[in-house]
Amino acid sequence: MAKLLYEWDYSSYPGAKAYPNLFKPIDIGNLTVPNRIKYAATEENLNARDGFVTDSGVEYMRWRGRGVVGGLCFMQGVYMDEAAKGQGYVGQAGAWHDKYVPGLARIAEAIHAEKAVAGFQLMDCGRVGAVEVPEGHGPSTVPQRLRVFKPMKEMTNAEVKEMVKQHVDAARRGVEAGFDIMEISGIVGYLISNFISSYTNRRTDEYGGDIRGRMQSVVEIIQGVKDVCGPDIPVGIRLCSEELLDDVRGNTPEESMETYKIAEEAGVDYISVTLGWQESIYPVISRDIPMGNWTHLAKRAKENVKVPIQMAYRLFKPGLPDELIGKNELDIWEMCRPMIADPLMPKKVLEGKEDEIRHCVACNLCLARLFRDAPMTCYINPVCAHEAEPVFVAPPKADDEKEILIVGAGPAGLECAYVAAQRGHEVTVYDKRDEIGGTLNEAQNAPYGDDELWTCIDYQKVMCEKAGVEFKLGTEVTDDIIEDEMPDSVVLATGPVYTDIQGNDKVKVVNVLDVLGGRAQVGKKVVVWGNRKPGIGVSLHLAQKGVKTTLIGREKTAGFDVNPSFKWRYMIYLRQNGVMAYNDCMIEEVTETGIIVKTYDGYRFPVECDTIVLSDRQANESLKKTVQSEGIELFVVGDALVPRNLSSAVHDGYRIGMRI
Amino acid sequence: MSFDAEKEISKLWRNLHSAQAEIGKTYYRWRQVALEIAGPDADPREIGLKAAYVIGKDVGKGLLPRLNWLKGEEGFMMMLGRSLAGLWNVEGAQAMAEKGEKPGEVFIKCARDPWPTYAKEFDVPMEEVAACREKMFQSILEDVSVFFNIPLNIELEKAIPRGEGMWVLRLYKAE
Ligand SMILES: Cc1cc2nc3c(=O)[nH]c(=O)nc-3n(C[C@H](O)[C@H](O)[C@H](O)COP(=O)(O)O)c2cc1C
Ligand code: SF4
Repeated sequence: MAKLLYEWDYSSYPGAKAYPNLFKPIDIGNLTVPNRIKYAATEENLNARDGFVTDSGVEYMRWRGRGVVGGLCFMQGVYMDEAAKGQGYVGQAGAWHDKYVPGLARIAEAIHAEKAVAGFQLMDCGRVGAVEVPEGHGPSTVPQRLRVFKPMKEMTNAEVKEMVKQHVDAARRGVEAGFDIMEISGIVGYLISNFISSYTNRRTDEYGGDIRGRMQSVVEIIQGVKDVCGPDIPVGIRLCSEELLDDVRGNTPEESMETYKIAEEAGVDYISVTLGWQESIYPVISRDIPMGNWTHLAKRAKENVKVPIQMAYRLFKPGLPDELIGKNELDIWEMCRPMIADPLMPKKVLEGKEDEIRHCVACNLCLARLFRDAPMTCYINPVCAHEAEPVFVAPPKADDEKEILIVGAGPAGLECAYVAAQRGHEVTVYDKRDEIGGTLNEAQNAPYGDDELWTCIDYQKVMCEKAGVEFKLGTEVTDDIIEDEMPDSVVLATGPVYTDIQGNDKVKVVNVLDVLGGRAQVGKKVVVWGNRKPGIGVSLHLAQKGVKTTLIGREKTAGFDVNPSFKWRYMIYLRQNGVMAYNDCMIEEVTETGIIVKTYDGYRFPVECDTIVLSDRQANESLKKTVQSEGIELFVVGDALVPRNLSSAVHDGYRIGMRI
Repeated sequence: MSFDAEKEISKLWRNLHSAQAEIGKTYYRWRQVALEIAGPDADPREIGLKAAYVIGKDVGKGLLPRLNWLKGEEGFMMMLGRSLAGLWNVEGAQAMAEKGEKPGEVFIKCARDPWPTYAKEFDVPMEEVAACREKMFQSILEDVSVFFNIPLNIELEKAIPRGEGMWVLRLYKAE
């Protein structure tokens, strides 16, 4: 009989009725898991630089433990070698010595306190490792494609055997720390996948050669880890179902399926389906990839092996995984980023509070931060990585209840509004538009998934309603309104102003929002002025409609304000859509036939156009003087303060909401 | 302000050529520094070849993200040949890649190369210029070979420093 760790009865919850397949139990090895939900292992760079667990890391995990409502909650992959060649992130948890066990136990306890199943993950980062040391290790010395990663050194046969032992020893430490389930991470280009891939494994000893040879070290790890885990602690593995490395002669999909069968033969109790490598040229999880794009891979895995199949990858809403589990095409719904963005996401699904979910917008900022040695941050969730700070998690009631007037119902204003209202303030949000959402009303029309950004407004709307925020829409705030109302505080969330350019009879000038909103017509040849994200968005929007589009801006690179983990996608789309970009330039003159561009170093050249789209933004100074001259407390948030992005709007709004 | 295309382009063109010449000369200025530090017993050709090797290794690493195997071996060889010719062109040469007769064979041909002219200013023998070009391309191939798991070689077949005709280098898969 499989063992159930904690009793959960979901029968009275609306989510269990709406998604019955998600909230039914499953046996994984000899462990019964009460539901089909898993928080997938996630590095967050919150541990100390020497690999010890910190309070921030523990509280981060406690929240995710609460979120899975009895399901599987995995801590990040630990590195296992004292030489730290396997350490991929400065804040990655270590498990190469028994001294780490007490800290790791704190994480297991935090997850158990939420009555969830605590998962431990083993992850030597291989080619992506050696973050703190000069040289990494791997099956063969295949040079790095990207210079950010350290050079590789081929492991000797003895070192491979030592590496297997390190996995087994670390697994034992995980067991001693109290974890209930063990996972070996063979994901996205880390050491296990380096051994498996024909791209990176050129060995001629027993750990190389054909796919069986390339799986040999993995088989030894599985068997060793199973031995220390015993019958009650299931052991699973995350394995690539498609490496997407055909450009560098990686494994075929058939070889990848073979690895699933070999892992099953070796005794794993489940397989988590992954795909792609950090080095792959194909995008896998960014917003331009539609939700549910990869579910056929879970289905294919189920056709090839009998053990339970788990999968994440852009499964951001409960409906699809519920359906797939119902059709026996998936067994467990994994989530990583949806629960970075909202740690309680599945709990809200269970409780029928889906409208209160703060949805991940698949921007990959969280990932980009890891590679910049910075602690986790979420684009959309200002509380992420601050779970150990009560003032963030539950901003305390205000000492003095104030009347707050917020000008602007965009993401910065709305975020600030509900946080301030939750703290007991009386909040009124004004906007000259008839609807909330600010510039996102139009920005969401940019291609490659930007409609997902609107989920932020949906969430904020619900939160404002629950917190009792009052709205005065269709009302432009004037000096008179401020003088009449005389609130205690004013928050200016008015959005940016746009740098103006004078057109002429032949070249007309329109605003980016009017173009994206469908209110302004453009000609056949367009110059977009401003090479940050709004400029990129509108350029792609127009280019897709067949308009010849040139993007010009003062930033050194287009998309300077987009994080690198997403920016590379935009660079490809600009190229694919034939958008010419001139960076580090100004528009010197508007002529009868277009414009004269002036480069930063003084070269000048003409670009033909009949329309200029303004997307270059500046801070908005309006109303500031009036508020200040009345002696009213003033805050400025979002693009009105400094034009940036949605994330800055949300984070500004939350922080001022906490402070006011 | 009126826009004079001829003026703008000629300014750009002049500056590009000055930049190319400065880069070429700076290479030989550094060679001079290395020789002076190495002392009278050092072999200048050895130093030149070492520099070509170090530069080629670094350039080779930069090439890795730009190459791929999507069009199979033939396509890969041609892409690589074009990249080598392209690198030479950026330095001010007039080079191109041409498919050879044997499978996977590519010829890099260069009709005009400014390096021998810079070299002459610094009294560098033309044989060294040719040997360094070959060495540099060979060291570019080192990482590319390992990365794509294909043994590659390139050999100088004809060098015509400052003369008429063509440089010819043969790029091929080593057996
Ligand atoms: C910030 C971040 C950290 C991650 N860390 C790990 C890790 O430690 N181990 C692992 O196996 N996968 C890791 N992953 C991969 C995720 O577990 C997951 O498979 C991937 O993000 C796709 O799922 P999603 O679309 O639900 O985010 C990480 C992903 C992100 C975004
Ligand atoms: S940073 Fe972006 S991708 Fe990562 S969880 Fe937050 S919204 Fe999602």
